[in-house]
Amino acid sequence: MARIELKGIEKRWGAVVGVRDVDLDIADEELVVFLGPSGCGKTTTMRMIAGLEDPTEGDVVMDDEVMNEVDARDRDVAMVFQGYALYPNMSIYENIRFPLRMRDVPKGEQDKLVREAAGMVELEDYLDRKPGALSGGQRQRAALARAIVRKPKVFLMDEPLSNLDAKLRQAMRVQIKHLQRQLKITTVYVTHDQIEAMTLADRIVIMQNGAIQQIGTPDEIYNDPANTFVAGFIGSPPMNLIKGQVEGGTFRAPGCEVAGIAMADGNVTLGVRPEDCVVGGEANLTARVYGMEPTGDMTFLTLTVDGTHFEVKADRDYRADLESEVTVAFDQSRIYFFDAETGARIR
Amino acid sequence: MASQRRAGRENLFIRYLILGGWALFCLVPVLWFLSIGFRPRTEIITPRPIYFPTFSLDAWHMIWEDWPMAKYLRNSVAAIIGSVIIDLVLAIPAAYSLARYEYRGRDDIGFYILSTRMMAPAIVAIPIFFLFRNMGLLDTIWALMLIYAAINLSVVTWIIRSYMLDIPKELEDAARTDGAGDLRILWEIIIPTILPGIITAAVIAMIFAINEFLFTLLIASTPDAYTMSVALANFTGGSDGVIYNAIALVAFLAFVPVFIVVVLIQKHLSRGLTMGAVKG
Amino acid sequence: MADAGTIGSVKPLRRRSKRMKKWFPYLLVAPAVIYLLGITLYPGVYAAVQSFYAVKFGPWRPVGWENYIDLWNDREFWAALWNTLVIGSISLTVQCVLALTLAFYAYRDPWITGWRIIFLIPMLFMPSAVAFIYKLAFLDGRIFSDILIRLGFITENIAITSSTYWSRFLLIIADVWQWTPFLFIIFVAALQGQDEEIEEAARLDGAKWGQIFWNVSLPLMKPVIAVALILRGIDITTMFTNVFIITKGGPGGETETISYFIYRTGFKLFNFGYASAASVIMLILTIIVAQLIVKRAFKSGRD
Repeated sequence: MARIELKGIEKRWGAVVGVRDVDLDIADEELVVFLGPSGCGKTTTMRMIAGLEDPTEGDVVMDDEVMNEVDARDRDVAMVFQGYALYPNMSIYENIRFPLRMRDVPKGEQDKLVREAAGMVELEDYLDRKPGALSGGQRQRAALARAIVRKPKVFLMDEPLSNLDAKLRQAMRVQIKHLQRQLKITTVYVTHDQIEAMTLADRIVIMQNGAIQQIGTPDEIYNDPANTFVAGFIGSPPMNLIKGQVEGGTFRAPGCEVAGIAMADGNVTLGVRPEDCVVGGEANLTARVYGMEPTGDMTFLTLTVDGTHFEVKADRDYRADLESEVTVAFDQSRIYFFDAETGARIR
Repeated sequence: MASQRRAGRENLFIRYLILGGWALFCLVPVLWFLSIGFRPRTEIITPRPIYFPTFSLDAWHMIWEDWPMAKYLRNSVAAIIGSVIIDLVLAIPAAYSLARYEYRGRDDIGFYILSTRMMAPAIVAIPIFFLFRNMGLLDTIWALMLIYAAINLSVVTWIIRSYMLDIPKELEDAARTDGAGDLRILWEIIIPTILPGIITAAVIAMIFAINEFLFTLLIASTPDAYTMSVALANFTGGSDGVIYNAIALVAFLAFVPVFIVVVLIQKHLSRGLTMGAVKG
Repeated sequence: MADAGTIGSVKPLRRRSKRMKKWFPYLLVAPAVIYLLGITLYPGVYAAVQSFYAVKFGPWRPVGWENYIDLWNDREFWAALWNTLVIGSISLTVQCVLALTLAFYAYRDPWITGWRIIFLIPMLFMPSAVAFIYKLAFLDGRIFSDILIRLGFITENIAITSSTYWSRFLLIIADVWQWTPFLFIIFVAALQGQDEEIEEAARLDGAKWGQIFWNVSLPLMKPVIAVALILRGIDITTMFTNVFIITKGGPGGETETISYFIYRTGFKLFNFGYASAASVIMLILTIIVAQLIVKRAFKSGRD
C-alpha cells in the first residue's frame, strides 16, 4: 500500500533550479514513468522520493505521512540504479540478502525470500557468483532481485535498462512490467527512452528543464499532447511542427495549406504526425524529397519544405527519387494546433 | 594499465645501454654489500680492498649472539605493526569524511592533514623528546608507535581517501535505500571494496616506519629499545670500528620482506607514493 | 506471497536530527586531526616557547630574542641552510633528469615490469643501511678510490673526508642512488596512464619517440612532475640519516644540513633553546613553502 504525493516540490542548488513546481499524486500499485531529456530533473525528483536528496521546498508524502525528515534507510523504498550498484565484494546471494539483513528479517526467512526473488528473475544458478562474473543483463536482474526481495512499498528505477543492448532491453522491459503487476508495488520509473515509457507506464510524467510538461496515460500523451515539447518528444519520428497563420479559416505556411479550420485568425503552429500523412492525394503540403528510407515494413520519407524537414511514414512499397517534388495530404481529424509563442495546445 | 605499448625499433642500442647501465648501477652496490655480509670480520676493512673474499657466516652468529638481534627485531615489528593499526583506525573514518561528505572547512582540514607530511622531523624532534621524557615514555615501544603513527597518518589518510573516491556513489545510495546506516556502509561495503588501497597504505606506512631514523635515534637511546634502523648505527665495537658485515646482513634481513611485499603491490605503488595524486 | 511493505520489522520512522547529520563528518575526521595536532601544534608551540629561553639541563632561563639574534649571526646556521639548499637542489635535479630519462626509455619497453623491479631495489633498503653501503665503499673501504687507481685515473687515495666537494658528492650520490626510483616509479605510472592513441596518432604523423616524448608526453606530465618533485624535495631538505652516518657534518660543517644542525645543537651541545629557535625558523619556512607551492600543486594534481 503506497500512495505517493509530491506537493510543491522544488530543488535548488544556489541559483540553479533543478526541479520546480512538481505536484503529483501517484496511486497505489501504479507504474509512473518520469520521461524527459537529460538534465530535465526526472532523476532528481526520484531521488527526493527515495530520500537521497532533500527538497528545497515542498513535501514528499507517502501514505499521508510527510517523509521529508525521514532518512532514506527508513522509507521502505527499493531502488534499481542505472549502473546496478551491486556490492562487488559480495556474492549475488549476499547482495540480495543484504536488505533483509538490514531489516532484521529472521534468518530462516531470509534464505527462502532470497531464493524466491532469484527465481523470479531466473538467476537461481548464479547465486554463488560475484557481480564481476556476471554479464550486464544478469547484473541487471540481480539488481532487480535485490529490490524485489523485501517487497518494499515503492520501487524506484533510474534508467535501469540504458546500459543494455537493444534486444536485451526489450526482453527486460517485458519482465519488469510483468513483475510489477505480479507484485503490485507502486513504481516510479525514470527514463529518457520514450518506447520504454510508452510500453511500461500506467501514466507518464514528461519533464523538461525541471518542470512537468504533462501528466497522462500513454494514449493521452501521444494523442493529446499538451504542448509542442511533448508533441515533439513522443513519437518516432516525432510530430511534424509547422509555423504559420490562420486566416479566414485556412492555415497557411510556405508550401503548406490546410482549409476548413474553425479558429480565430492569428499565428499558430500546426502539428501532424508522420503516420497521419498520406503521399499524393489532396495537397496540404508540397515539398521536395530529401531522404527516402525503406525499412521493410514501411518507408520513411524525409521532405524539405521551407528549409525544414518534414517526416512522413509512407507505405512500404512507396518509392520516390531524391529531389523530386511530392504532395502530402493530412488526416484532418488528427491535426493539432499550438500557440505560436508558448507552444501550448490550442486545439 | 598499459597493454603492449609499441616500443619502436629506434635506438634500441641506446635504450638498453641506458636501462642496463642503470640496472647495473642499482645492483652492483647491492650485491657487493651482500657479499660483505658473508665475509669474515677480518676481510671487510683492509688496506687494499679484497675482490675475492672468503665466505663466512661470522656475521650471522654475531648478530644473534653479540647483540640482542631478536630484541631489535621484536621492537621494530611491534612498533611498526602497532603504528599501522593506529593509523588505519584513525585514517579510515577521516578519509571517508574527506571523500564522501561535503561540509565547510573540509578542504582546509584535508590540506592540514596533508601538510603534516611536509613536516621535517627535525622541527619537532626536540619538543617530542622533552614530551616523552616528561611522560616517562623514552625507550618504550609505545613512544615509537605513537611517533610512527603520527608521521604516517597523513599518508595513510590520503591514500585511502584516493581509493574511496573511486567507488561509485551509486553503491552507497543503494546500500542506503537497502536500509544500511553510514557506519555499516563503511564497514561492510566500502572497506572490503578498497582493500587493495588499505593494503597499499599499510605497506607504505610500514616502509616509512622501518626507515625512520631521527626520532628513533632520539627516543630509543638505550640499546634495549633499539629498532633495526638505529641498531645498525650502533654496530660498532672496540677495535673493529664499524662492523660492516653485521650491518650488511641486518640490512638484508630487513630488505627481503619489504621487497616481497612491494613487488606484490607494485601496481599500486605510484598511487601510494604520491598519496593518490598519480594513479598507476 | 506477502503483501508489499510487510517484510521485516517495521522500524519506527527514525527522524535523524538535523544537527547530528551536520556534525557527523566532523566527528569522523576529528580523531585523526586531534592526533595530528598533538604532533604539530603542541610541539610547535613548545618549540616556540622554548626558543625564548636558554635551556640546558637545568632550569630554563628566559633570554628573549637572544637565541634568534644569535642564530642570525651564526655562520654555522646559515652554512647549514646553504648546504641543505646546495646539496638538495643538485641531488633533486640529478634524480629528476635521471628518472625522466629512464622512464622515457622504460615505459614502452616490453621488459618494463622487470626494469621496474630492479630499479625499485635501492629504494627498499633502510636509509641507514644505504648510508653504510656508501660509507664503506667510499670511506672506510676505499673501494671507490681503489678502482680509480687500478683504472689509472688517479695515483693515490682520494681524501674524501677532508674534501668538501667529495663529501658533498658522496651525500648526493647516496641520495640519488636510493631515491631516483621514487621518481621513476611515479613518472612511469604517469606515462603509462597517458592516452596511447595520442602517441599512435603522433607516430603516424611521422614523429620519432623522442619527439613524441618531448612535445606530447612531457608537457602532459607537468602536474605529475610537480607533485613528485615537491614530495621528494621536501624529503631532501630534511636530509639527516646520510649526514649522521657518513659525514657527520663533513669537513668543518660543510655537509651539515639544517636537520643535522638542529640535532647537533640540541643533542650534542645541549643548547636546546637555541636548537628550538632553529626549529621554529625551519617550521616557518616549511609553512611558507606549503602555502605557496604545495597547496596549488596538490589542488591541480589531485582528483
